[in-house]
Amino acid sequence: MALLKLENVTKRFGGLVAVDKMSLEIKEGEFIGIVGPNGSGKTTLYNVISGVYFPENGSIIFEGSDITKLPPYRRAHLGIGRTFQIPRPFSSATVRENVAVGAMFGRLSVNVEESLETADYYIGLVGLKAHRDKISGALTPTEKKLIEIARALAMKPKLLLLDEVMAGMHPESIEKMIRLLKEVSEEEKIAIVSMVEHIMRAVIGFAKRVIVMYRGAKLVDAPAQEALNDPRVIEVYLGKGIRDA
Amino acid sequence: MISVGKSVNSQQSIVNIKKYFPLLPVYGIYLLLFLIGIIYPEMWSVVTLLAFYCALGQAFNIFLGMTGYVDFGYVAFLGLGAYGMALGIDVSHQTGLNIGIIFIGIILGLLMATLLSLVVGAVALRLRGAYFAIATIGVNEGFRYLIEGAKLWGGSEGLIYFRQLNEAMGREKTNVIVTFWADVFVLVIAAISAFITLYYMRSKIGYALTALREDEDAAKVMGINVTKYKILAFITSASMAGMLGATSWGLKYTHVFPADVFEIHYTVEGIVIILLGGAGTLLGPAAGGLLYGLSKYWLGAMFPGIQLLIFAPIILIIIVAFPEGIVGTMKKKIKGTVLERYIA
Repeated sequence: MALLKLENVTKRFGGLVAVDKMSLEIKEGEFIGIVGPNGSGKTTLYNVISGVYFPENGSIIFEGSDITKLPPYRRAHLGIGRTFQIPRPFSSATVRENVAVGAMFGRLSVNVEESLETADYYIGLVGLKAHRDKISGALTPTEKKLIEIARALAMKPKLLLLDEVMAGMHPESIEKMIRLLKEVSEEEKIAIVSMVEHIMRAVIGFAKRVIVMYRGAKLVDAPAQEALNDPRVIEVYLGKGIRDA
Repeated sequence: MISVGKSVNSQQSIVNIKKYFPLLPVYGIYLLLFLIGIIYPEMWSVVTLLAFYCALGQAFNIFLGMTGYVDFGYVAFLGLGAYGMALGIDVSHQTGLNIGIIFIGIILGLLMATLLSLVVGAVALRLRGAYFAIATIGVNEGFRYLIEGAKLWGGSEGLIYFRQLNEAMGREKTNVIVTFWADVFVLVIAAISAFITLYYMRSKIGYALTALREDEDAAKVMGINVTKYKILAFITSASMAGMLGATSWGLKYTHVFPADVFEIHYTVEGIVIILLGGAGTLLGPAAGGLLYGLSKYWLGAMFPGIQLLIFAPIILIIIVAFPEGIVGTMKKKIKGTVLERYIA
């Protein structure tokens, strides 16, 4: 059984169709990369899956039950976690408190003491130990991204949606991040979907399967190498070659 | 697991007591206020003024400070509380309950304020930020005109119940209660509000409120039922305001007039107190209440007539110097020191 299943999901903003009859299946523990140029509907797709927006058409099935109309906090309880493209930590709170919130209200919803312990574990995992008691608003953008990842992992999700987490990171950090995500995913059986706009290297290193979105629809859904070498994908990114024009 | 249970338990209870250390400075302030009033009876009126402002800040802070939502209609909860006391005394003064009628008044004030908060909360808390603030402005004025226009509860002539109090408790007891115990109740309400604030801060509720104050959408995605926590803070804060209105206005003045109690400037004073002291902090409202009350009292005595002209720039300077309030700024300064344990 698929962990997440989208059936003909459509989300419109006025006349603009941001996600157009999207169907998709994600299996347990799977690693998927979502790529696509600016405005192709990737973030809207995330928002529809996590419940920030409700789709006009279609249905979203998570672990066999229909969650199309479920508010975002209920989806978090079921095991859908996500990060934001522009990190949104609770900036007046410390790093530790931020990550603890994930554990406190996420899938397992444990008590304050246990949440703080869980937080310490994931803070160590993403390498923010030295910043644990700092106010998160004072950290660098990259560190804020790490807070978001730790916070999302502390929710103990079954499906984790990462929004451009590797953009702006040092290549070495990207390698480390990919390794870390793979380890956590294997250990805790988390399906991870990572959205990438530019750094294709990160996609290949990360995902077995790549979904390419274009104008709100799925253009290609194939194994990583195959998807990125698909002429349609190259065309979407670079335009037609001079010879073809 | 079972064999280590005992030592873990005793350790945990120590940790739990430590969690409540930040109440010490707050309760210290309230005790000091009380003692000053007892030792110097001529200071009692100043003490009551300060106690009212501290309690107003402490109660309002549970909602405004912890959620970041501004309720411009907040004074309506105090007003209804005062009416609760009036109606409670009016209804029960011949039952022979003696002092008991005061508690009926307090409970009625609490219930009426809570009920209103449920209604307002269910509608207005669906709105965000500035829209919520605008929606709540009407609540206060609406109540005043409803009572005056519909001639509800005595209409614009209000309710006067000094005679009823005398009938129920005798002249002497009434005097002591009205001039002394009503003000002590105010301090008690401030203390209860402070306790609830810290209890919330240290539990899941506080984490949820911090999260939704900082970023409501992110909080939802983290699994927080933001509506539930907003309403919880709103109701708690309103019920404290109801009790405060019942005692500091209803009981103390032995009359209620709609034009007096549904007066928006108390809401504004509450907001100023919280911002001066530090929104969302435990000690902030007490510090803000003292600062605001003392400045107002002192400037009123020194520069009668132009006190607001001097007060306004002082408030401005304090807000610029301490953008997160006095306690909010102090909390950052003392991070990592022993003091951190006592200030929240």
